[in-house]
Formats: sequence, C-alpha cells, structure tokens
Amino acid sequence: MINLIINGLDVHVPEGSTVLEAARFLGFPIPTLCYLESLSPYGACRLCVVEIGEGARAKLVSSCTYPATEGLKVRTSSERVVKARRMVIELLLATCPQSKTIQDLASAHNVRRQRFRQEHEDCILCGLCTRMCEEQMMAKAIGFRGRGESRSIGTPFDIESEVCRRCGGCMYVCPACQLRCTFTNPEKAICGGCANLAPPCVEKDQFKDLMCYMDPCVACEIKKD
Amino acid sequence: MLKLFSIDDLRNLREIITSDIDIKKPCINICGETACLASEANLIVRAAKGHILGKRLHDKISLRITGCHGFCEMGPTIVTEPQNAFYVKVKSEDVPRIIDATLKNKYVDELLYTDPKSGTKYYSQNEIPFFKNQKRTVFSRNQKIDPIRIYDYIASGGYLAIEKVLSGMTREQVVNEIKNSGLRGRGGAGFPTGLKWEMLAKQPSDEGKYIVCNADEGDPGAYMDRSLLEGNPHGVIEGMLIGAFATGATKAIVYVRNEYPMAIKHLIIALSQARDLGLIGENILGTDFSLDFEVVKGAGAFVCGEETALMRSVEGKVGEPRQRPPFPVEKGIYGKPTAINNVETWANIPIIIEKGASEYAKIGTKGNSGTKIFSLVGKIKNTGLVEVPMGITIKKIVYDIGGGSIGNARIKAVQTGGPSGGCIPADKFDLHIDYDSLAQAGSIMGSGGMIVMDEKTCMVDVAKYFMNFLKSESCGKCFTCRKGTQRMYELLDEITRGQGTMEKLDLLEELALAVKDTTMCGLGQTASNPVLSTLKYFHDEYVQHIIYKRCPAGVCTELVGAPCQNACPVGTEAWRYVALIEKGEYEEAYKVIRAPNPFPSVCARVCDHKCEANCRLGTTGGQPIAVRALKRFITDTVDPSVYNSEKFIPAGEDSRRIAVIGAGPSGLTAAYYLSLDGYRVSVFESEDRPGGMLACGIPEYRLPRNILEKEIDALLNENIKLECNKALGRDFTVDGLFKDGFDAVFLSMGAHKSRTLEFGADSAPHVFSSINFLKAYNLRGEFLAKGRVGVIGGGNSAVDAARAAFRQPDVQNVVILYRRTINEMPAYEEEIKAALEEGVEIRELVTPGSIFTQNGKLTGIECFQNVLGDIDASGRRQPVLNKSKKTLVSFDTLIVGIGEHPDTGFLKEMEIAIDSDGKPIIDPDTLATSREGVFAGGDLVTGSSTVIGAIAMGKKAALVIGRYLRNEELWQTPEIRLPDFFLEPSPESDVETDMELPRIEIPEIPVESRADNFSEVERTISREAAKVECGRCLRCDLAFTQKREDEIAAVGDKAK
Repeated sequence: MINLIINGLDVHVPEGSTVLEAARFLGFPIPTLCYLESLSPYGACRLCVVEIGEGARAKLVSSCTYPATEGLKVRTSSERVVKARRMVIELLLATCPQSKTIQDLASAHNVRRQRFRQEHEDCILCGLCTRMCEEQMMAKAIGFRGRGESRSIGTPFDIESEVCRRCGGCMYVCPACQLRCTFTNPEKAICGGCANLAPPCVEKDQFKDLMCYMDPCVACEIKKD
Repeated sequence: MLKLFSIDDLRNLREIITSDIDIKKPCINICGETACLASEANLIVRAAKGHILGKRLHDKISLRITGCHGFCEMGPTIVTEPQNAFYVKVKSEDVPRIIDATLKNKYVDELLYTDPKSGTKYYSQNEIPFFKNQKRTVFSRNQKIDPIRIYDYIASGGYLAIEKVLSGMTREQVVNEIKNSGLRGRGGAGFPTGLKWEMLAKQPSDEGKYIVCNADEGDPGAYMDRSLLEGNPHGVIEGMLIGAFATGATKAIVYVRNEYPMAIKHLIIALSQARDLGLIGENILGTDFSLDFEVVKGAGAFVCGEETALMRSVEGKVGEPRQRPPFPVEKGIYGKPTAINNVETWANIPIIIEKGASEYAKIGTKGNSGTKIFSLVGKIKNTGLVEVPMGITIKKIVYDIGGGSIGNARIKAVQTGGPSGGCIPADKFDLHIDYDSLAQAGSIMGSGGMIVMDEKTCMVDVAKYFMNFLKSESCGKCFTCRKGTQRMYELLDEITRGQGTMEKLDLLEELALAVKDTTMCGLGQTASNPVLSTLKYFHDEYVQHIIYKRCPAGVCTELVGAPCQNACPVGTEAWRYVALIEKGEYEEAYKVIRAPNPFPSVCARVCDHKCEANCRLGTTGGQPIAVRALKRFITDTVDPSVYNSEKFIPAGEDSRRIAVIGAGPSGLTAAYYLSLDGYRVSVFESEDRPGGMLACGIPEYRLPRNILEKEIDALLNENIKLECNKALGRDFTVDGLFKDGFDAVFLSMGAHKSRTLEFGADSAPHVFSSINFLKAYNLRGEFLAKGRVGVIGGGNSAVDAARAAFRQPDVQNVVILYRRTINEMPAYEEEIKAALEEGVEIRELVTPGSIFTQNGKLTGIECFQNVLGDIDASGRRQPVLNKSKKTLVSFDTLIVGIGEHPDTGFLKEMEIAIDSDGKPIIDPDTLATSREGVFAGGDLVTGSSTVIGAIAMGKKAALVIGRYLRNEELWQTPEIRLPDFFLEPSPESDVETDMELPRIEIPEIPVESRADNFSEVERTISREAAKVECGRCLRCDLAFTQKREDEIAAVGDKAK
C-alpha cells in the first residue's frame, strides 16, 4: 500500500494507483474529460490537474496519469489549480461551445464567458475514441494523425478502415459530440440547462429562470443557415 | 582489414600512425561543413585537389576536409598548418595561391581575416578576436581532423579515453569521475549527467539497458550538434562507449534528425570504421565489454527532441511525450532502463576522462562547469559557433566574440534556448550565462541557440514567429499546449495587425501562465517563454502596437505600410511623391510633400531623413533612395502657391485665443494649424526674429536665410500675431497670459542653454558655448572664432560650430575634441563627412582637463587621453579616462558644444512642474503639463532633437489644444496609416536591377570655395538624376494599393 496526503488527509491506496483514483476514493471531485475508468489514462484534456510538491518545487500535474507515490502531497483545488482549470475550460468553450458536457463543466466551475475568438469545432482530441477502439474493441481502426494544429482523428489516409466494425464505441465515449446543443431546431434541441424544452435562448425573457447560463450563449451565436 | 584485439593493439596502432606523421609537413584544412558547402566549399576542395595533383605536390602538402571551423559568417574558410593562418571567404581561384604560399611558409595577405572596423590583419587564427575570446575544447578537434578518417581521430589523441577506461577503471570510478566533473546535460535542462548515469547503473541489467544520443536538434538557429556529428563523430561514439561501460548499457542508439544528411553519413561511416577496428561490437579490445550501435533517423518532429517522445519514436510510434514518472532511467525504450544525453554532452565525456574530473571542473563556474557551445546568429557581425566557458557574460559573447551589431542599429536583446527560450534585454547583458541564471532571467539554456536582435527586430513579431513554430510543432496531445499555442499566436497576430486591446494583452499573459502550468512536457511548459519574456522586458513594444498602433521596429507590415512613410514623424508619403516625380508630375509631388509638413523647403535641407534610414532598399542590401534630395528637387522646382488646399477659417472677435511661446519649428507649426481652425494665436519670441533653432542654431551653409524666411512668412496669416523680443519669465508670465484672456498656452521655447564643462572653463576668455557662438553669427553676423579653434563635443551643434568656425575669416584651423571615436559620434554622418572634407580635424578619445590663459587670453587646454572601455547599455564603448597620459593643445578660441537643455527655472513659479533637467513634465500622449490649459512640446521637452520631430510635436499640440478647447477627450487612438493611393508603377521598373543601381550623388560646391563664405553647400539634383533615382524605388506601397486596385478591377469586370 502507498500512503499519500491529499488535501491534508492521509490515504492508502494500492500500488499502481493514480493520484486521480486516490482523490476520487476520498471523494474529492476532480473534473475529467479524457479519462474513463476502463481505458488507459492519457492526460490530454488537462482538466484533472492537481498541485503536487511544495514551495518553489510545487507544480501542476495531470492526476489521471500521475502515479500515487509514497508521501506525495496533493492539493486538488488550490488557487493555482482552480485558476488553471478555469482557463482550460475557457479554452474548451472557445473550441467546442456546443458540447453539453463542456457547457456543464463551465457552469459547474463558474466560467461565464470566453474571451477568445469563437471556434465551432466538434472535437477536442481527447483521444477517448482511439483508446476505446484500440483497448476495448481491439480494432485500432482510428488513431491520431498529424501534429500540432493539424492533428486530427481518423483512419490512415482517410481510407475506409477494414478493421472497423461500426460498433459505435467511439461515438459512445465522445464527451464533445454527445448531447449537442443545436439551437434552432426545437425538436432536437438540448440546450444547456434548459431541460430539453424549446431553447430558451430564442426568447430569453420568457425563460429567465431556465436560461442557458452562458452570457452570451456562445452556442446560440452560430449563424442560422 | 586491421582489427584490434587488445588495448595494446590500440596503443601500437596509435604509435604507428603518429610516427608516420611528419609534423613539419604543411597542411591545408578546408571546412567542408554544411554552412561552408553552401558557399561552394566543394569547388574549393576540387580546386585544391586539382592544384596539388596537377603540380605533383602531394608529397609536400597535405589536404584535409574538416568539420566546421566555427566562423561561419566568413565561410568558406581554410586553416593552414603549421602557420595557423585563417583564410576567409575563399574562392576556388584563390586556392592555388594559398597552397603555394603555405608551401613557402608565407601568407596570402588579402585573404587573411581582417577586422572590418579597425582594418587589422590577423596572421594567426588564435589572435582573431572571434577565436581569442573563446575556449575551444569540445570543438578543438573539429578543424584538425577529417571526420571520416578514423586514423585522424586516433592520431589526434582519440580513443585515448576509452583506452584509459578499459585499462583498469571500474564502472563506479567512471561514474564518479563524471559526477565529480560537474557536467550537466547540454541538451538544455542541465540535469547532472553523472547522476543520471548512476541511476541507470543501479537499474537491474538482466533485460538490457539503453543509452541514447539525442541529435534531434530542431531549434531554429541552432546547429552545434550537427557540427559536432559532422565534424567529429568519433568523439561522440567514444563518449557513448564510456557511458555504456559505466552504466552497463547493452545498446547505444543515436537518434538523429533526417534533415542532417551529412551528419548521418559521417556517423554511419565512423561507426563502420570503429566496428571494423573492433572498437565497437562484441568484446571490445579483448575485454568483456560489448556494445552495439544503432542509428535511428527522426522524421522531422521538433517534439521528438523531448526524451519521452524520442523513446516512443525509437519504438516506431508517433512521437508523443508521456507523463514522468516513470522516468526513462526506470522505464525507457521498450520498457527498459534508458539514459538519454545530448550530442554535446557525449562529446564532453572523453575530454573529462582524459583530463580528469578535477581539471575539467576548473573550467566554468561552480555548479556549471565546462564549456558550452552557442550558435551565435541573427543581427550580429560574426555569426558562427562559439565555445565559451560557462559563466561568461552575454556582453562578452555579443561584443567581444560576436563583434557587435552589423549596422548602426543598436542591439536590444538576445534570444536563447530556441523557440521555447526567452529574450534577454541589452541592459541585462552582464548576466553570467549558466543554466540557473538564464532560468532566473526567464529564458533557458536550451541547446545553445543565441539569436541576436537589434532595434529593427520587433519583439511582438519575434514572439509571434516562435508561437507560429510551436503551434505547428506541438505534438497536440495536451489540449492546453495545442490550443494554447494556437490562441497565443492568434492574440499576437491581432496585436501585430493593430487589432489588439489591453484586455486581450492581459488574457495573453493569463493564458501563457496557464499553458506553462498545465502542460505535461518540456515543450509545453516552456512554450510560453517567448511571450512571457518579451512581455516582461518589452512590455512597451506591446503597448506601442496596441495603444499607439505603431511598430517601433518597423516590422509588422499591417501597422507599418511603407517603411518610409512609417518612419516619418509627420507621416509624409515619401513613396507617393517619389512615384510622382518619376512620372514627371512635380506639382502633385509638391502637394504630397506640403500636405503633412508646413516646412517642406527647410526639411528638404536639414531633415535627419528617417525615411532613408528605414528605406527597404537600404535595409535589404541596396542603397536607400535619396528621399531628401528628391524633396529638395521638388521644393526648388515647384512654386509653393500650387498648394492651396488648406481650409482657412478667419477668426472673429470672439474666437478663442491661444498663446504660443517660442517661434521655433514646433511653435510655428502649432500656431499655423490652430490658426487654420479659426483660433486667434499669439506667438511670443524672445529673439528679434522667428525661427528658433532653425534661425539661430543651423548655419546658413546648410539652410539659407531667405529660404527660411520665405517659408515662415508663408505660414503667418491674419489669425496669427507674432511678437518678437518677448520672453516668458522676463517680459510676461503664464498667469498674465490667462489673465489677458488666453484660453490655452503652448510652451515651445526650445533648449538653448548649453551644458557647461566641469572645470569651469566657460568663464575664461575666448571660450564660447556652441549655441552662443552660432547665435552670434546667425543672428548678429559676429565672427567670434579666431586663430586656432577647438571645439569640444561630438553632437550636431559641435560639428555645426566647427564648420561655421571654418568659414569665418580669421580662423587658422579647427579641431574637434571628442571623448569617444568618430564611430560613436552622435552627429549626422554626412555632417561629419563634410566637416572632415573641409579640413576640420577630429581628435578622438580626448577629455579636456583644464584651461590655460595668459594675460587675459586663452592659450590652450590640457587634454587627457581616453581608452575605450566596457560597452554600456547603448551598445557604445565607454571612454575610460587615463589621467597619466595628457597633452597640451594650443587654442585661441574654444567652443564648448556638449549638449543643450532648456532654460526654464522660472516655470516652477508658474505652477508648471519641471524635471531635474529643466524639462516640463508632460503626459507624452497629450503634451499636457501639470497646469491645466498649458501644453509643451519641441526641444523644450525632448532636449535637442530633430526639426521634423519638433514639427510633429507642433502638429500634435495643435490637435490636442483644439480638443481641449472643444472639451473633447484629449487622447484618441491614432489611425493606422497605410498607403491608400494607387499609382501605376512604371513598366520598365525591375526589382532585381533596383537593388544594384547606385544611389545618386548629391551635388555639392567644391571644398575649396567653402572657406570664408556661408553659401549653401548642397545643390539641387537634375531632372534626369531625379527620374533615375525615383526609378530605383521598390514601391512598397503597391503591396497595399495594388491589391485593392485589383479587387476594384475585378468588381468592375463582374459588373460588365
């Protein structure tokens, strides 16, 4: 067993555990997007950062990939962590404003605006789908391609994969594309916080207490076709 | 094939090789490294071979194609033995001469390295400042051996270290030796190498261990690893052999980027030679130590230089870093313990073993021992690879080794550590370079790239450049690194396009800190450094871009437009009138010149022409357009009355009143523009005529009086009342002005009080301040200079005084005494040149000591000799007084011109705050002084400055005072002024020939006819010359106007 201290509390976890597992065992909430218990940790979304070490050597690490080590001191919601996490969420919002998951995260962490140029992407490249495909479906049909700004997920050379079984596992685990806020089509619309009613963002005055918590609602700013 | 089976075999081999070598036999070493190859070193090699074989000299002289000599700026280079002569920029036709001279133990003088400034020729490589101040240890072998001949390496003492290790040292001894040497990883992070080895040595070895040489050098501007691998691959191999022995590693991998074909080639050749000799493989030299090598070629991802990404790449996976722990020494390539070191680190190992740890640790500083190779590139005279001891100051590298900046622009920063490094400003150049100090200053050592930047480098643009690199080179795994670098680039790009806001700047900093904090690998954690360090040290440049919408360095195209227009303080569209002159539309050209500037004829003569200094033709290798001469041509050719487009509102009795104090260029400009708007302006001048410094400071031979008077007369109108012989403080006060009903006051009295010499010489007879001396002649026609005239100072007013003295009748000779050298003189270059032509003597490096008089007459002064000392923050060498060396110089007249400052003691009583220099304290954005309704500008607030600068401030004052009187916000965001008027380029213009055509010579009256009179020296250029000169213009404006023209044409076509 390994002993470590999380937010001042002693905790014993089996060897090979991660800091995230230890913290969740104690019940400390740490948000994640690219983490799923059944898949290997990857450390892509950086939401689960926690602060370890002390003084000048204190640093932020992703708790999902950081191994629990003997005597490690962890702070899961220090000021530094909260500040960094809010910036991560702001960046996520700037990238994928329509994801209900991300909107909920923003709400939970009181991020009410994003100051960057608004993008409308469908993918945050968390890699859950590729790990799902490789580790659970044993297919390795999709993977990462390119690097930096041209990184994307897909099959090699965009050729239809022979090993893909159309299982849909990739779509099932996706945190960005499930429950998309689709704004003007009331039948399909699931706007953040509005309980599947007709989107309140259309007529905000009417639904004051049910409104989308984004101000302005970045999803609604998508132009109608 | 010879194979070595024991250590004795190696010893014998070395003895055989060395005994074969005739030390006295001359040898020429030609640099065959990539940089020199690019300057056609291959032709030189061919010529050398041809000459040696053709003349059958191969018994008398050896030829060696070596690795990098380091002085890449001067490539291709040749070093000869035994003379140690260093030939630079060699061409193939020079080679026979070099060979023949070397054979005769002589030199080819004109090809030797010559210092461009002092003209000193250096006969020995070691004497050249670039090499003299280095400590070449790791690099020393590069120029002595042919990298693909193993015998060369062995003969020069190669494989001695492994011999020493294998003849009795234990693994622990080797590890301890490295630990004690204090060597830290040269890849950038500076982790102690010995410690890393010790950790690897402790790992269980049953499944094998790896050692890796990281040669994935990807920093833009850094190439020392390449040079080591190309020039001395055996040194790296030997280091790795020792490393493997010490750590028990079973396999060595060299990970080298595929973009280094020559390094790969030399490495593979070296490996096969070593393998053939039995230096690598099974049972090396008959011991039970075995090691095999593998070369892995990287596929061009910058991130693969990061160790965990490198390991994945070696395994054949996508290069993506992973979380540490587990560290590579625990779990590395294929899960086996791995130690990864940089090329330079490995190359240091044999040297440590040979010299011994304690000897090695003596180099450098405590905690940072040894030498470090930097690639010195950018805006610096001597680019190349320099190896210096750790702890050396940046100043020493930049100025002593690098030779300072290329042109006149001041060096303002160095960028170290590649894209993820930071910038260190010039005032921190005393920093001793080591891992810790650089990190503290906000940069990193990185692999040792050192990019020098001068005033023509925009720091926002630099940050943007590196961010552009990082956003495409981030692996993309961490969301904050991938998106963070993209967003930082986006924000920087907005700023460089003038769309930034201060809120966005705060967001940029917040984001940069978050990216630093929340990313996993070294790339992400340092990716913010270019932004954070430039924000820290060059915040003002960001503010200039955001608030003032200007790029001080003139780099950001969308803020700058045409460089000539951008450089001009009043924004004259120089490109436009140059184009108009070429078309022969002189009247239009005059209108363009006159529109922003009420003193066109004056500026055509005395402007310091920043347009020419920034002309793209000049900054990209050609000679700048003679803009001022062209302006002179137009103002001399066209009648000023063609310009009549100003709207004039006559003032009424109830119009608001403004008092302008001082009728110099800034005061008159402000009065003129205010009068146009219908304000009643009174201009008060303390002298008996208007003009300020134009009239009393600038001598007639530069600016004829009638030209000045005509121009001033043209500005005065019925709204302006000029009152001469009225001085503020003497004849009236600010309170009085307000009481008299003035609504606003503009102070522009200039800077007319001379600084005085420390030893109180000013009260001595026949000693004048330059300004009083010039005034005496310019205003009253008095000749004060007699006999032998001395002028102290190096600024414009000193040179003006010297040239004016030269023209006075009773003057024998004129000597300028300056404390630095001519190169450091602040006066305009053309003025200094003219003074020298006219026979004015300039005595450099002298400081006046005391003054001698006899019978109430000046006899001379005592001067101390200075030597040039350390470089100050302005990049100029400080004169250091040498009191022991003094001379007595006889003079009959002495003029002191060591600067002017305003005479404003009385302002304090008028509730206007002034600084210690007497300048009113103003808000630079609004020119407002501490007193409501009082504004100040011109030399009064800047100290002696340029005419055009004063005019610009006068214009600004008119604008701001107008706003003040209308109760508007004083500060308003300036507009970005880009070229917006399309002028068809002439069909015969061609950029290629533009670059080569020479600049026109500006006609001048001959030197002989200049003495004893004050007639104007410069003459107007001819119509033909003007047309030719204008034809050279690169027409930077077309980049902005042509596009729009094309768009309009396209829309027009559609409409049809």
